[in-house]
Amino acid sequence: MATTPRGGGTAQRPNGASQNKICQFKLVLLGESAVGKSSLVLRFVKGQFHEYQESTIGAAFLTQTLCIDDTAVKFEIWDTAGQERYHSLAPMYYRGAQAAIVVYDIQNQDSFQRAKTWVKELQRQASPNIVIALAGNKADLSNSRVVEYEEAKQYAEENGLLFMETSAKTAMNVNDIFLAIAKKLPKNDGAGNQGSGQGRRLAEVEQNRQTNNCCK
Amino acid sequence: MDDDGTDELLLLRAREEREKIFQRYDRGTDPSNDVDPWENPSFEVYHYTDKYGFIQDQRLPIKHDPHESRRLELEVEREKKWLKMLERWDRSQDKLRKRVFKGIPNKLRSAAWLKLLNIPETKKKNAGVYGRMLTLARKYCTETRQIDSDVNRQFRENLAFRERYSIKQRSLFNVLTAYSMYNMELGYCQGMSGLVAVLLLYMDEEDAFWGLNTLMSDRKYAMHGLFIEGFPKLTRFLQHHDYLVAKIMPRLHKHFAKHNLDSILYSLKWFFVIFIERIPYKLCLRIWDIYLLDGERVVTAMAFVILRLHKNRLLKLKDMDAIIEFLQVKLHKDFGYDDDYVIRALEHTMQELKRLKLDLPPPPQPNEFPQRQLGEFIEPDFEKKIGHRKSVFTENEREVLTNVILRQEIIGQTDVESTNSYENSESVTGDAISMRTYQSFNSLATSLALSTDTLDSYNENKLDSGSDTEVEVENTRL
Ligand SMILES: Nc1nc2c(ncn2[C@@H]2O[C@H](COP(=O)(O)OP(=O)(O)OP(=O)(O)O)[C@@H](O)[C@H]2O)c(=O)[nH]1
Ligand SMILES: [Mg+2]
Repeated sequence: MATTPRGGGTAQRPNGASQNKICQFKLVLLGESAVGKSSLVLRFVKGQFHEYQESTIGAAFLTQTLCIDDTAVKFEIWDTAGQERYHSLAPMYYRGAQAAIVVYDIQNQDSFQRAKTWVKELQRQASPNIVIALAGNKADLSNSRVVEYEEAKQYAEENGLLFMETSAKTAMNVNDIFLAIAKKLPKNDGAGNQGSGQGRRLAEVEQNRQTNNCCK
Repeated sequence: MDDDGTDELLLLRAREEREKIFQRYDRGTDPSNDVDPWENPSFEVYHYTDKYGFIQDQRLPIKHDPHESRRLELEVEREKKWLKMLERWDRSQDKLRKRVFKGIPNKLRSAAWLKLLNIPETKKKNAGVYGRMLTLARKYCTETRQIDSDVNRQFRENLAFRERYSIKQRSLFNVLTAYSMYNMELGYCQGMSGLVAVLLLYMDEEDAFWGLNTLMSDRKYAMHGLFIEGFPKLTRFLQHHDYLVAKIMPRLHKHFAKHNLDSILYSLKWFFVIFIERIPYKLCLRIWDIYLLDGERVVTAMAFVILRLHKNRLLKLKDMDAIIEFLQVKLHKDFGYDDDYVIRALEHTMQELKRLKLDLPPPPQPNEFPQRQLGEFIEPDFEKKIGHRKSVFTENEREVLTNVILRQEIIGQTDVESTNSYENSESVTGDAISMRTYQSFNSLATSLALSTDTLDSYNENKLDSGSDTEVEVENTRL
């Protein structure tokens, strides 16, 4: 199974692979400021890590495509700003999202609490079928860990979330968490694109013309 | 978790966190301050550092620019004139205006910005205030963690901010924590660190504090309304921006709409931090010069100019990611036009928009300005003190959230025709936009028209030549 992320943004056929499906999903990253949301995205999309990642104002947008078997899964990633004040803008980004990664910093108890708040918010406001993953980031700094792995794991299980501890710095579990989400997303019945109002209908139509799109 | 102990615990945690952060800034670069190695990125000094202190992703030697020596000569000439002008300062002078548009010589930017922001006077009037705010911040600043994590990420590629807890980093922290006490309604919002960081590259701490205050509270800039909860001024300016694009560049407007590209997705930093990290720093300073002279209308015009100059490129980009990448990343690296040329396009656009009475959106509501006396201290309540530790969203957050969803829905339905709020507003009365207005729209749409191959090629005459004229304005129902 090919699991290499591919750069470049647009969903093209990976080299040589006989690709016959392209699915496009909107994914949003949420969580307190400075937990490493932008860093996770940067690692996933560009394979890089910046110690001095600039703080996000509003939100940032990036795309990345993963391949699972004969399907290319294109993520449209909305990386939101963590400060509370910007949360009011978050619905712009998470509405119609089919997947979300809620991030906390394993060194910070409060960021874990805030992550739980986000999960509640998503369960109430976002699309009912949204796939939510919880990421305990900065796992490379586990000697200053405050949030126990087991505690978060249990919380995730109780709430039906995917869960991994990640490190944008060392790349640990970064591709894996996106891959796990990609696997869990429905790829055959069009459920993926029932976003509310927003979404990428026109872009999708265009995609449909070029490819044998499985997502409706 | 038991309810009784929880509140106490949260307060305690908030206090400990704040005190710890302040202590770290007190110690500064002292070796006793344990700085995680990852917080202090190493860098190769033989990388090219530009004259503004930004380390460029490029190694010495850089290629020789044939125009550089000529530019230096010019700059020396300008410095002389500026020195004289600064001595006999008169803000309303025509000469000043002309020279600001030509670019303030970098050596004299400090002096000029201080005057433009009226800092010496404000500082004198408020002697002692800054010190008091610093003291208050230590005890009450509820935004400490956020400010700290933003200082840690601000301009780290600039020598002044490179080292963790360096003098400038400490100044940045001080100014922002102190200001969150001085303007308690506003507190701190991500984005403000960028503004202050630019100021700090040209002035010291207390001056930057008063400079920030001018930017936030002076009517000319009125950035307070941009950053307060709910972002009322942002909404107002974005609507106006959308209106201008729809009216004057309908093809681009449709193109963006087709790709679901709401302007908030590409232009937030234009409005919040006056183009920092969205256009090259050198050009950005030129825009700042003009912004400090003329205020908020500059941002509206420049936002328009960016789209106008790159329209043809943008129309060729076929998906949202490509457009956003272009506007947010590519233009930061290379704007594609000579700075002087961009400034003239800006000047021209400002004049035209003013003539059309479209240089500003409809007037603000009072909530865009500070409602409370600046500098008046009220102890933060429990909610504020525990900040992000609370487990539900506040009423206010919830209300704003609902409004945003509404706006989304409205935007979904808006097209070029349905710009009612504008047609009824004072600036453009009814449907009867005069012939002159029509002609001016036309002139704005065409006179800046440029072929996309002008990368770096500086051509004095292009601005008036009207090459690549387009007729799309005629398609708009005016
Ligand atoms: N050691 C370590 N540091 C990390 C990791 N991920 C992020 N960081 C650092 O943590 C800081 C914050 O990371 P960002 O990615 O900017 O955080 P964010 O969640 O996007 O923050 P906002 O944009 O403010 O919401 C940066 O200085 C990163 O370099 C990680 O896995 N390990
Ligand atoms: Mg971020």
